Amino acid sequence: MNLKPSPTHISRSGGCTLTGALSVTTQVRDAASIIHGPKGCAHHNFSLFHATLIDNDQAVLPDLVSSALDESDIVFGGEDALARSIRSVCGRDVPAVFVLSTCIAAAIGDDVEAVCGRDWPVPVIPIPTAGFLGGTFQDGVNNALIALADLTEHSQTSPCVNIIGEKNLEYEVEENYAEIVRLLTLLGIPVGIRFVHGLSLDEIPALGAAQLNILRDPSLVPVGEHLRKRFGTPCIPSFPTGFSDTLAFMNSVADACRVDARRALGIEQALQAGILADFADIGDAPGVFCGMALDPESSRAAREAADALHIRVGGDPEAHPLPVHPVVGTSGVRRMLHRWRRAIHA
Amino acid sequence: MPECDNPLWPCAMTGAAACLAGFDGISVVIHGSSGCYYYPTTLLHAPLHGTFILENEIIFGSEDRLHEVIGELSGTGNRIAVITTCVPAILGEDIQSMLAEQEVLLVDSPGFSGDVETGYTKALSLLAPQTDAATEGVNIDGICLLDPFYKGNLQEIRRLLGRASVPVATIFCRDTFRKTRTAATCTIGTNDDFISGIGNYLGGTLGIDTLRATFERLGAAFEDSDVDPVLQELSEQEEEIVRVCDKFLRRFDPPSVVIFAGASYAEFAAQTLERYLDADIRFIGTRNAGGSSRFPAATVTGLKEVKTFIDLHNPDLVLGSSFERSVSSNRAFYGITPPLRGAVRLAPVPLVGINGTLFFMEQVLNACMDHTRRVPG
Repeated sequence: MNLKPSPTHISRSGGCTLTGALSVTTQVRDAASIIHGPKGCAHHNFSLFHATLIDNDQAVLPDLVSSALDESDIVFGGEDALARSIRSVCGRDVPAVFVLSTCIAAAIGDDVEAVCGRDWPVPVIPIPTAGFLGGTFQDGVNNALIALADLTEHSQTSPCVNIIGEKNLEYEVEENYAEIVRLLTLLGIPVGIRFVHGLSLDEIPALGAAQLNILRDPSLVPVGEHLRKRFGTPCIPSFPTGFSDTLAFMNSVADACRVDARRALGIEQALQAGILADFADIGDAPGVFCGMALDPESSRAAREAADALHIRVGGDPEAHPLPVHPVVGTSGVRRMLHRWRRAIHA
Repeated sequence: MPECDNPLWPCAMTGAAACLAGFDGISVVIHGSSGCYYYPTTLLHAPLHGTFILENEIIFGSEDRLHEVIGELSGTGNRIAVITTCVPAILGEDIQSMLAEQEVLLVDSPGFSGDVETGYTKALSLLAPQTDAATEGVNIDGICLLDPFYKGNLQEIRRLLGRASVPVATIFCRDTFRKTRTAATCTIGTNDDFISGIGNYLGGTLGIDTLRATFERLGAAFEDSDVDPVLQELSEQEEEIVRVCDKFLRRFDPPSVVIFAGASYAEFAAQTLERYLDADIRFIGTRNAGGSSRFPAATVTGLKEVKTFIDLHNPDLVLGSSFERSVSSNRAFYGITPPLRGAVRLAPVPLVGINGTLFFMEQVLNACMDHTRRVPG
């Protein structure tokens, strides 16, 4: 029996559950998040969120509290430090406290759930994290979304559509959301809540009222399934990527919401045709795709746009490097084409 | 230790990485998870390696993974340094024995062991730099990749030493690993928060008076040097600072100031602003445990405390990081400590030397004047 399985097939670069979960809990604006671990873990995440929020023109900083474990706590246990932190935070004007643990707290065996389960004056909600010992960044996101969903019950269905699991650390998070709102507005469908982006705790009960949930990407399918079981809400597994996928997305949403999509699809197809006409000047150029991470959806969207413009991709030593980034909807493709034009004319 | 709201300073692991990654010829390996690796990588903008350990390696041992990563790095001719993060540090594995066959520098500097200075100092002491009496020139100390001014500081001190005909020896910590074995016997500083303790310390370079005293000592220590051009430039530029500040004071009141930074930069800022602008230094919040100060000072580690002190002292001007800027309302602000987010910085900017003081005063005066115009009265 192999007691040391090869980690070859396991992602080593999946990031930290703590960061993933914090990217959700810090978007509940009126709640506090306690990070049970050394100060450095809280600093790393605070600094990351600070940078991201500034990039997204948001001046409000998340309220992160570290239980500030030191060497003595590591030796003798950190539960007292956590209880002290919870007591302090409960004394502030917050409706709820989220507790996220780190790998070191898990390694020394602190019973975080037991400490959270004590009699506190406001709800103290443990989020399954444990740093890298709890999984990856995405596991942290999913665990936090599920924990927050479990705070609420099914309510009367409204005609709106919820947006689930936006990538809050993504540079284009607001632009991507705006694109989905644009497409839904074309279809005449109102947007419900952004679960979780810039919410207050008392807005979360609206989660169970939507007629449809739209997930940011397929990695959130476990969350979508959880919401389906809990509230009976169906879901669409991803924001659209590329021209044809955008039209397919609109069809799927229209079917799920039982609306007639023909007029909206006509407007969107005209918009896409107009964009291709605007970029006809870069047609016929040789190009090669480049970018930080070429996921299959982004590559497909890029290939579709290149084919439509008759850009010859690959095989030419004089090819222009065409930057590819994860695009959302028709507007995302248009921004990518601007970057291609800059690269081709450089 | 009491809880801390929004901690402002990186951990010891990051400090160790900031020290070691400054040396060409050292391959730095962060022994920990990808989450621990990403932060120093993004902060230091230096090539770092990682073991990216997974849960099964915590359960069954990380030896194979360490050997795998180190094996990939061996053969480059570089010295390999392994920095432990929190969980590997408490596993009880004898990493030193595991790596006995390789000449690996093991730095046990987990995040819970302290702040960035703790890790930096520990890594440098394990590196065990050596002086060599045959090495000409003077070492430059206090250069740390974490410091947003490090490139500008280095450029400025090189310029001044060049004008004084004093050769530059080893730069701690931005040099080749080889040169840590042959450091000169004399050292000048740039940022005393990251002091190496190598060689005979001739003084710092933060602020006009300190700089003058240090170059006078350099002149005495190096027979072939000629520090007069530096001392002359220093006098001329100080006159310019006085002239500009005098003009400012004809129209504006001296600013009241609250400063948050490492102790060394904070003290420089306080003394400089008091000297040239008669500024009212209401409070210094140091990120680290600094030395004594004649100004009201305390160690401040969290953003909640920062906001409390700003509200309490109600200053015209706040110096700090972009954390401080975020809670400074519409007060005048200038950034002197990391992180400095939300602003584009391309050119190397110094805080030490003549140009450092010039640039600092220029930025402060502009911030104060811009603020006064924005908020009249």
